[in-house]
Amino acid sequence: MAFTSSTRLVNPRLGTYFGIFTAALVALVLMALMLEQLGTADGLLRALMFAAPLLLYAAIGFNARAREPHDYFASGRRVPAFFNGLVLGVAALGGAGFLGLTGALFIAGFDALCLSIGWCAGLVFMAVLFAPYVRKFGAYTVPAFLGRRFDSRAVRLLAAAVLSPVILLVLIAEVRFAAYASAWLLGQPEQVMTAVLMALVAGVLAAGGMRSLTWSSVAKAITALLALAVPATIFALLASNLPLPQMTHGNTLRVLTRMEMMRNVPILIAPPLALDLAGVGMEALAKRFVQSFGNVGPVGFVLASLVMAAGIAASPVLLPRSGTTPGVYEARKSLGWAVLVTGVVLLTLPAVAVYLRFLLFEQVVGQPPDQLPAWMQILQQAGIAQIEPGSQPVSLSRFGFERDAVLFALPIAAGYPQVLVYLALLGALAAALTGLSASLFALAAIIAEDVVRTSPVEVTSDRARLGRARLALAAVAFVGIWLAIAVPADPLQLFLWAATLSASTCFPVLVLSIWWRRTKALGAMAGMLSGLLIAGAAILLSEAGAIALPSALAGALGVPCAMLVTMVGSLMAPGAGHKVLEQLREMRMPGGETVYDREMRLLRLKNRSPS
Amino acid sequence: MIERNERKAYWRHTKVQMLTSLLPFLLAMVILPIYADAFNDKRVLGMPLGYFLACHGLMVIAFITVAVFINRQDAIDHWHGAHEDF
Repeated sequence: MAFTSSTRLVNPRLGTYFGIFTAALVALVLMALMLEQLGTADGLLRALMFAAPLLLYAAIGFNARAREPHDYFASGRRVPAFFNGLVLGVAALGGAGFLGLTGALFIAGFDALCLSIGWCAGLVFMAVLFAPYVRKFGAYTVPAFLGRRFDSRAVRLLAAAVLSPVILLVLIAEVRFAAYASAWLLGQPEQVMTAVLMALVAGVLAAGGMRSLTWSSVAKAITALLALAVPATIFALLASNLPLPQMTHGNTLRVLTRMEMMRNVPILIAPPLALDLAGVGMEALAKRFVQSFGNVGPVGFVLASLVMAAGIAASPVLLPRSGTTPGVYEARKSLGWAVLVTGVVLLTLPAVAVYLRFLLFEQVVGQPPDQLPAWMQILQQAGIAQIEPGSQPVSLSRFGFERDAVLFALPIAAGYPQVLVYLALLGALAAALTGLSASLFALAAIIAEDVVRTSPVEVTSDRARLGRARLALAAVAFVGIWLAIAVPADPLQLFLWAATLSASTCFPVLVLSIWWRRTKALGAMAGMLSGLLIAGAAILLSEAGAIALPSALAGALGVPCAMLVTMVGSLMAPGAGHKVLEQLREMRMPGGETVYDREMRLLRLKNRSPS
Repeated sequence: MIERNERKAYWRHTKVQMLTSLLPFLLAMVILPIYADAFNDKRVLGMPLGYFLACHGLMVIAFITVAVFINRQDAIDHWHGAHEDF
């Protein structure tokens, strides 16, 4: 590969810096392990495992200051493909992937794969359909992209209004997951942790916007991957002598399947459209792990993976990230890395679920209540697992497990040192914080750039522009804290709603605006609005029990309807102007200057006072 | 910079590449989980084949799809002179 001037902007010492971070993290864990053996107080260990990495993230974020919009909103467009992909993959998963999906896999087995397939496929769609073009266009937010693509302020405002609630849902879900993990880690109430974490994240983002977000998220992503890998790898080593949980959980799965057969775990058959993934609270293990379509029907499975894929691909939280790469080629490549990172995580999570299920069937199910292993009592006391009292041997029907606790219940159940439990919690917290900061930044940028900003755009001074962005950040953080404490909904469900809404509002309009020349502003507005209305109505009706469609599948109605409305609206509208078409042609070619940056440069030249 | 008369050919080429990347992947993503139960009596690495294909198989297919797409699209860019020339 030739070294272009854009790749020369990249800091050549990034690898060294994050190597040092990784070494510091490993040293911290090893030190905590030693301190635990030396009998240090538990509270001190917890505080150390919580505060030290958080301080490191904050230090990295504060060091990456931004003084101009180009740095604040696009990280200076000099994030190499690998680091961008790393952040993108972990931010796409977030706490919903690490905590929620692991739990869903543990409880629903094969059926929860519809979500992981959707996650991975979403990044594939993003790579092929959107990322290169969004990068070439270079707008800082999705509404700004749409507004400039159609040269219409109305489209920009409407897109901001439609997408803000979608991002808000992701924000609440992620902060709830982050608060959940840190509440377990520190033993503090979730409300307090919600406020503390949100304030911390907002403070770090205010320092350097997308720049802080990128570099502190790289550190968080490394933590999340390491923390996920360590407990699973140790278990895989002990069970199969090979340190590859992704490939070697097969033998454990075979034994598990045999035990499930012996214990007469039922084979369920779900109605075709069902989508019954685990909720919050104690959930029973109703079906065998490998059996397909017991909680989720075949139609529901396919629709869920497609809707999820569309939602992730067009996610207004993730798309602006492709604008931070040095070029279009790097934007594509970063999606390749993102798929690799996400794929490895999504293969490790089922392994964690299988291991915990195996331990449960081997040591708990079928045992008399007075001969349960010690870890089961710990889990029961912690409120993670529940066995109905009685003198009969423990059966599955009397047994419940909390969904979001599965990831850190494995190190407890396998009898690892307490520090490894904290490490698993730390990883989940890091993943949730990555998702949280990405969604917080995306929402604040939309509020500051697309809603508040008055025309003529982008002629205000850099100071005023950044000041407004920071103000929006504080406002969004406050609203986020308030909503996260006030709304007691299941965070995974919130995340699925966000995905289904972003699929129905954003996906059709984005696809058509890039791939169909005749798309017009009128069609785009009608499409976004109808997508939101139809999917929103379907969610409400489904929650009220009026229709049989599960609420997470509302996008299955929303996407085709919005697609159709956009096309009809575009065909009815008058022809697009020369400027719009020329801009579209330019966006489709990787070569040449970034469209948005060039316009900013010209604007600045035009507005420069004669001196 | 791309020649004016190359634009149409470039975009046609790109569209074909988009479809050849996405359609097989979409097909695999729908078919593999649906028929998982039918494959589950065979085993790979101890895992039932249907589960293995829907979980590991799809992730590998996804990665290969993106990797091939990046490579091919870059070749298309260079063929038509639409690549980035800093």
